[in-house]
Amino acid sequence: MNDSLLSIEDLIVEFKTELGSVKALKEVSFDVPYSSITAVVGESGSGKSVTSNAIMRLLPDSAQTSGEIILRPQGREPIAINSLDERDPQMQELRGGLVSMVFQEPMTALSPVHRIGDQVAEAVLCHRKVSQEAALAEAAAMLEQVGLTEVESKMRMYPFEFSGGMRQRVIIAMALICNPQLLICDEPTTALDVTIQAEILVLIKSLQRKLNNSVLFITHDLGVVAQIADRVVVMYDGQVMETGSVRQVLKSPQHPYTLHLLSSMPGIKIVEELQTSSEGWAEGAPMGSGTVLGDAGGGRQVREFSK
Amino acid sequence: MSQLLKVTDLCKSFAGQGVVKSVSFDVNESTTLGIVGESGSGKTSLVRSILRAIDPDSGSVRYNSREGWQNLNELSAKALLPLRREIQMIFQDPFASLNPRMTVQAILEEPLIIHGLGDKSWRKQRVAEILEKVQLDASSASRFPHAFSGGQRQRVGIARALILEPRLVVCDESVSALDVSVQAQILDLLASLQSELGLTYLFVAHDLRVVREFCDDVLVMYAGSIVEQGPVAEIFENPQHDYTRLLLSAIPSPDPDEKLEPLDREGLLLE
Repeated sequence: MNDSLLSIEDLIVEFKTELGSVKALKEVSFDVPYSSITAVVGESGSGKSVTSNAIMRLLPDSAQTSGEIILRPQGREPIAINSLDERDPQMQELRGGLVSMVFQEPMTALSPVHRIGDQVAEAVLCHRKVSQEAALAEAAAMLEQVGLTEVESKMRMYPFEFSGGMRQRVIIAMALICNPQLLICDEPTTALDVTIQAEILVLIKSLQRKLNNSVLFITHDLGVVAQIADRVVVMYDGQVMETGSVRQVLKSPQHPYTLHLLSSMPGIKIVEELQTSSEGWAEGAPMGSGTVLGDAGGGRQVREFSK
Repeated sequence: MSQLLKVTDLCKSFAGQGVVKSVSFDVNESTTLGIVGESGSGKTSLVRSILRAIDPDSGSVRYNSREGWQNLNELSAKALLPLRREIQMIFQDPFASLNPRMTVQAILEEPLIIHGLGDKSWRKQRVAEILEKVQLDASSASRFPHAFSGGQRQRVGIARALILEPRLVVCDESVSALDVSVQAQILDLLASLQSELGLTYLFVAHDLRVVREFCDDVLVMYAGSIVEQGPVAEIFENPQHDYTRLLLSAIPSPDPDEKLEPLDREGLLLE
């Protein structure tokens, strides 16, 4: 009996292209526990965004998927997301209701021609039968929760009047206003300055602790992982290389790819001791698709590799 | 070590709003000067004023060219042209900075044509040489930018900047758009080109981890002014200004035991 909010089991995603099919995910499996932050980390092309888009069922028609994505919302029957029909009313409830998403680009994720307040209230009106006034009042309360000041006047402003950090706060408010059980953040701070990034990370973490929901946090920055996550999933080439608690994985990485990622980080103290052990990993080295994730104890899994 | 650049009291404002406020600093030859600060701190306006990509309001930018010291801010556009061979720029976005309708050969030989250098066969040979220098395959010359990854495109951007054999190269957030492992490769390339060709870099970045690794000296900018400058080790180990401390405290550490604290902006004076 699995007791995680989200379980991904043997997920395969294949894209049909003119030059044949490309496997973006090769049997990815991991869990997102209740009330915790799970980070997925890897380079571009590792399949992190494909995984999050598969959870939201946002993949294009050229994608063929197999495997299971199971969401177990509290107080409800589990939902097999991957086998839902596109037109199933549960689909609409799922997107933005039970699961919502914060995107990377705060400049493009908001509509440039609608007022901030109306955009946040729209999410409420889509999911619940409430009056326009009630929805706007809820939007104002949520915008205050994400740390905006003088909310009344900001509600009437347009996105171009906001800085990148303020826009990202608005997007977080939109994502949280229907009280989702799972919040997916796809590189939410990559486009931001380091100081604004720190503020947004502190905000996401404090809101998660307050609302007691779960967050799936996609990033390529191990520093961000260390600061925000409870658990981490390291991905490379459409496969999971290593999973475990943040402390286990970052303090004593076992897979050579995790070491490689750590040693790519500029100016990191712990890197020097680790550098020698990451030499086992070479760019594009076959990870052996037949090998499996082995249990390394303490809720930790590491993919087999040859030295 | 000889001086290459001497900036004195440089000012630039847009619509009455000062974005570069009386900035002064020197750069020695074959060193790397990092320029850090948040967006809006004026770092891009500063380097653009130095390059005369925008015209500064006042101040001097004295550059020690192959023909001796010149004040870039006093030269006419025409007089500036020969100096442009010596001062080149590598941009942030490897997608937007390459013309999608030009082959890599055309992109790389355009600076040579503008400066009237060599004939067709010489230029072709020069492009082949520079591609080898940035570790791209010779066959890349006939391909279009869309055929390359972000890291490979940035190598093309570096090749375009270096084909005129510049002495001063301005890197404006040149690795910010790249993945961490590709970023490490590009920084390695820039470092080895520097030691081989004696290049001087002005390295604009908001990622302090990169600056710490890559630069010799650093300027910290806040609201258009330099709040602190000095050798990288000195600034990072012993920051004196509250704003520098704030920037340093915002870097997420990969050690889960070093917790990120909410930033404290109080006490930061906006002049």
